[in-house]
Amino acid sequence: MKGSSLFYLLRLSALVMLVYTIWVLSFIFFNQPVEYNSWISFTNQILFQLSTTFVAFFFLAHTFIGLWTVGTDYFTSRTLGFVNTSLAKHADLIRSGYTFLFVALGALIVITTLFIIWS
Amino acid sequence: MSTNHNKIRPVYRPVFINLMQIKLPVSAIMSITHRLSGIYNFFITLPVALYLLYYSTKSYNDFILIQDTLSNPNMISTFVTFSFLVYSYHILTGIRHLLQDIHIGESLSASRTSAYMILIVWFSLFFLLMMRLYL
Repeated sequence: MKGSSLFYLLRLSALVMLVYTIWVLSFIFFNQPVEYNSWISFTNQILFQLSTTFVAFFFLAHTFIGLWTVGTDYFTSRTLGFVNTSLAKHADLIRSGYTFLFVALGALIVITTLFIIWS
Repeated sequence: MSTNHNKIRPVYRPVFINLMQIKLPVSAIMSITHRLSGIYNFFITLPVALYLLYYSTKSYNDFILIQDTLSNPNMISTFVTFSFLVYSYHILTGIRHLLQDIHIGESLSASRTSAYMILIVWFSLFFLLMMRLYL
């Protein structure tokens, strides 16, 4: 993927999640105190289910770009070499492990979200 | 690669960087804390939010239990409130970065002002929510 596509995808996904967050928070804010029935009917409506599914994939893209940037910034032989030179030799391995970890966790979060929303 | 071997370099150029001697400007603090809060959101806030969503929609009793726990001052409600405050911090600094991407508030003085504004807004939010929980 081109760098500029990643740049725009990061910002687009940020805006999508911002709109979603404002929507859910405004429901909670304007229905104080939130009661069980209104909360259930809010989370069981098709609009909530579809938009949460939609946002879950934007979340995956957003966190992948963000955490991948963090990994390529801090888990390199140069930056790990500041800490320990023998650690720096395994920088690529450490970064791969870190990438695997957050991709697996991100996928788990999305699957769990879809399970909660649609069950 | 150019051949730099024969260039005369200053003898006392810094080789080891002492991080304690670097004073970050407030906009740089915004940038690094935006990154840190993003990591926190991914590993902590989002799983917490999913947990809350799952149990608050599971049954009436679970909903009441969560509502009771979160509306009273205790370790769990403080932790959850703090996690959502970190999320709000990521949103606030993120909006600032987005505005700077479309060239609003890009100048040095404007970015300093917006950084302090965000800190004021976030700390007010922090005290507001914590007061709501504890008072």
